[in-house]
Amino acid sequence: MADVINHVLNTMLGLNAPEWLIIFISNSIAVTLIFAIAPLQMLFMTYFERRAIARMQDRLGPNRVGPKGIFQPVADGVKMFTKEDIVPTAADKMVHLLAPCVVAAPVMFMFAVIPWGPGMYAVDLDTGLLFFFAISSVSAVGLMMAGWASYNKFALLGAMRAVAQMVSYEVPALISIAVIVMLTNSMSIVSIIEAQSGLFISQVDVAGIPDLGLGWFIFSPVGLLGFICFFIAALAEGERTPFDIPEADSEIVAGYMTEYSGMKFALFFLAQYLLNFLLCAITVITFFGGWQGPGISWLWSMAVSEANPAGNPIFNVLAGILGTFYFLAKTYFFFFVMIWIRGAFPRLRVDQLMGFGWKFVIPLTIVNIFSASLWIGWIRWELNPDLAFLSALGEPYSFARWGFAFVATLVMNVAAYTLMTRINRSPDETIDELVADQVFGAVTLR
Amino acid sequence: MELLIQIIFVLISTLILGAAVMVVRTRNVIHSALWLIASFFGIGALYLLLEAEFLAIAQVLIYVGAISVLILFAIMLTHNVTSGEGHKFYQRWWLALLVSLMLFAVILVPTLVGQDWTITARPSEESAIAGAVEMGTAFMREYLLPFEIAAVLLLVALTGAIVIAYEERAQRRRILTLAQELALRKQQQQNHAEE
Repeated sequence: MADVINHVLNTMLGLNAPEWLIIFISNSIAVTLIFAIAPLQMLFMTYFERRAIARMQDRLGPNRVGPKGIFQPVADGVKMFTKEDIVPTAADKMVHLLAPCVVAAPVMFMFAVIPWGPGMYAVDLDTGLLFFFAISSVSAVGLMMAGWASYNKFALLGAMRAVAQMVSYEVPALISIAVIVMLTNSMSIVSIIEAQSGLFISQVDVAGIPDLGLGWFIFSPVGLLGFICFFIAALAEGERTPFDIPEADSEIVAGYMTEYSGMKFALFFLAQYLLNFLLCAITVITFFGGWQGPGISWLWSMAVSEANPAGNPIFNVLAGILGTFYFLAKTYFFFFVMIWIRGAFPRLRVDQLMGFGWKFVIPLTIVNIFSASLWIGWIRWELNPDLAFLSALGEPYSFARWGFAFVATLVMNVAAYTLMTRINRSPDETIDELVADQVFGAVTLR
Repeated sequence: MELLIQIIFVLISTLILGAAVMVVRTRNVIHSALWLIASFFGIGALYLLLEAEFLAIAQVLIYVGAISVLILFAIMLTHNVTSGEGHKFYQRWWLALLVSLMLFAVILVPTLVGQDWTITARPSEESAIAGAVEMGTAFMREYLLPFEIAAVLLLVALTGAIVIAYEERAQRRRILTLAQELALRKQQQQNHAEE
């Protein structure tokens, strides 16, 4: 952003603006854009989810306000604004007021490191990926505040469930993302996307074939297992349906949101939908190449960039539009998968949720780390100076090595997956064993 | 730019100190935990001001995201502490002050004595000491033994927690599905009839 502003102000208009002014203007524009785009995403997502889930449940969904009901979220927003703000008498007023802000603010922070297209990011932190997850864990504090300050048992139970779930599913999410950090050698989100250019034969450049932007990590066995584990953890972090026990409406009304109304409730809602959007976005960025896709690198090679200052700004715009299209299309596909899962699966119990996280997902991610290190070792062992002579063996050799690494890690991951499903299979206990268990256990059924 | 950084530093340290004072001043235990979180957050901002990006993020991830949640959980699950009575050890506040000052001095005095206060040149841009790469290399090379010892200690703590919290399988009533419950009742009725 800063180099574009610099180009416009100093080169094109000749204003000779100082550096701090350029940085200030570019950051202001980025922040304004984020604050304008994020609520719009949320509006569209609520509409999209309601229509999609209605279609799956053989209903129509909202279809009255505007063509096909597209203005329904706006009407909902107006309704939220005009609702009375009710605070329980026994509530802790200050904490009750602060809680929605503490939940919503980290989500807006997380947008800062998301790249929408080539060169379209607010900041490129060296530790961007870690920043994303660190700042998302702050909202757990907000949930606790909401649950406690409401002075309501449902709210407190919901907050406890939400926080327990978030804390325990953060572990598999971070471990499966660590695999990507190992593969790219970087925690910067921009360089993670740039590492996924080229062909789907990851890490091997084939001469004579153009850069199709298809070197996504999902096409390696390591990335595939990482994606499965990460997406499950993302469902739990975003409180999506198989794991929506914190706000299970048939059990605890609306969880931590029970005592909130009007715009405070809307803030929780906003935070939740934006978190879902961001989790889909980070899935796309780490495993599906972000804005990478056919045609991007061709357009970007002609645009104004650090490597090519003499480019044409039109191609910046074109590459940006195409990149944003790829990014949003993939992100909304994964949001659709979330809705799809909501339409297809019943809710888990709390103990099932914890058991699934700790006994199934976490062991798989740990196996995945192991196979990722083997994969990296096999793919890149000529980087070791002692083994440099191997790179002289030429292309067929490196293809063979790539194929061997692919098959070996695939076998390892599939074996781990099968083993984990076998271990975690619900035991086929006979009724006698159940009776024995009950007799040993409590007296209630005797 | 220097002045701006100094103003920001003063603001952040006021936030940290104010929040820390509020931690011990408020009578409500939950409120003091929340003030403590604010103070942790301010320390993260201070790290960011020192351009120790990784340290700032780790501070937020570990202290704000995990430890404070643990504190809140512990307070909420403890019986009768959230009622807001507080200040049960108020008579011996001078003793507490003395102990905390001495503990603070244990950290501060060696630093003050050992520090060379004549700073001649600013460190160059390249010599980052708190980046992710530098810390990773330091952990894997220079400080490998302390790192491994900390890892083993954490593992022992984890196992210990499980051992303490684990109920014997026989002491625990199983949660059954409706179908299992029905089958079980039928079986028991049958057994009853046979007797």
